[in-house]
Amino acid sequence: MHLFDRLAALGRFGLFTTRVIRRLITPPWEIEEISRQVWLLCSRCALPVLATTTPLGMVMALQGLVIFSIFEAEQYLSPLISVATFRELSPVLASVLVAAQGGSSFAAELGAMRIHEEIDATEVMAIDPIRIHVVPRLAAILLACPLLNLLGSLGGIGGGFVSAVWIKGHPGTLYWSELWSMTGGMDLIGGQIKALVFGAIIGLVATYEGFFASGGAPGVGRAVNRTVVTSATTFIVVNYFLTSALFGVPH
Amino acid sequence: MSLLPGLARFGRFLGQIVWSTVSNPLPVGRALEEAHRIGVNSLPILLVVSVFVGTNLSVQGASAFSTIHAERYVGMFVALAGVREMAPIMVASMVAAKAGTEMASQIAVMRIQEQIDALEVMAIDPYWFLITPRLLGILLVLPALTMISIFTLVVSAYGVAITQLGLDGHTFLEQATATTHAMDLVYCAVKAFVFGLVICVLSCYHGFTSGAGASGVGRATNAAVVMAAVSCAILNYLLSELLFG
Repeated sequence: MHLFDRLAALGRFGLFTTRVIRRLITPPWEIEEISRQVWLLCSRCALPVLATTTPLGMVMALQGLVIFSIFEAEQYLSPLISVATFRELSPVLASVLVAAQGGSSFAAELGAMRIHEEIDATEVMAIDPIRIHVVPRLAAILLACPLLNLLGSLGGIGGGFVSAVWIKGHPGTLYWSELWSMTGGMDLIGGQIKALVFGAIIGLVATYEGFFASGGAPGVGRAVNRTVVTSATTFIVVNYFLTSALFGVPH
Repeated sequence: MSLLPGLARFGRFLGQIVWSTVSNPLPVGRALEEAHRIGVNSLPILLVVSVFVGTNLSVQGASAFSTIHAERYVGMFVALAGVREMAPIMVASMVAAKAGTEMASQIAVMRIQEQIDALEVMAIDPYWFLITPRLLGILLVLPALTMISIFTLVVSAYGVAITQLGLDGHTFLEQATATTHAMDLVYCAVKAFVFGLVICVLSCYHGFTSGAGASGVGRATNAAVVMAAVSCAILNYLLSELLFG
């Protein structure tokens, strides 16, 4: 029985996804609503994203100096930080925070609309609820994730600078001059592809959980909980495959 | 502008938890129940996430070190980055996402359905009844979850290193064990302990101060997980500096 429930939920998610994507790629688009959602998402997530990637960049500099001082190869510190930040740290962490802040607020808003029968009301008025409530949120998260990823990368590199140069006395000119020595365009593009894929996962999971929330206020709480857990777990799994595909070791 | 009153409210909330915990008998049975529930609920996702973070670290480490022809240091990289940093912070953020949001939404629902007021009417201290067992439970179980996650992470990193990347397994283990000391695991447990405290207190606080209705519960849950993740990331730096610096 349990397995059948899981399968049914997976099927419902698949149907929901195709309905959303069909409306996402065909006009009319709610441009005004999309830009409002992008603004909301960026203003809600910018501070949490910066506040997590910066300390993690600082930690990386701290532990990196331990490794590289063993080999007396401190010039590799800033390349390590920039490669790790662009490829891994920023896409994953920024997306965890977007899931925690943006995704869960989508689920909470849509869940509350569902509980208060506002979604049924729009259907009664012959307005497509997916087009006006779901599609703008998904489009907004797809636009905002790369921007927030860029912000997170800056935070990570800045945090590494603060910790290595200001606190640990690593030479600042060396930090900046070596920063780009190992980072290629592929690292930047790969990071942005990751952010885009993670954004799509968060957007679809969050709107699905919110759209089909049931059972009053506790149901909304459960929807938010499931959104964060499901989307974060999914994209950490997907991340491994993306890393292998985008940056796998050349033999 | 609402920052200072908010901080003051939070301080009062903290004081209340400490006072209620020390001035009442310890709820040992219910704390163990909470520990069991948090552990059992979080373990499956933690295992999945640990496996994939470990494999990912291995791939990234190999690709970074291959540019300077030092693939044999992947074991050391996994031990340093994975054991000391990734595992504790990852466990903390997954537990914040799973158990923390659950605490926040349960308590928020109790708040808006006036069950917390009902407890007070029955002369039961709601802090002692609702928060103390959760706090003790998460403090008990989070270090254990972190150890399990560290083990899973290193094993999966090792698996990928010898199968997908074709590295020498013996060198990997030698490097990894040479870098990790027993004290590192103790420090990880300390980190987990602090993160557990932060997650539980912040989640319960947002639940207790939840606004009305379904949207209030949603907002409280949302704020709980964001605040917990951000505070853990910032504290992680301070703890790393203190313990490993």
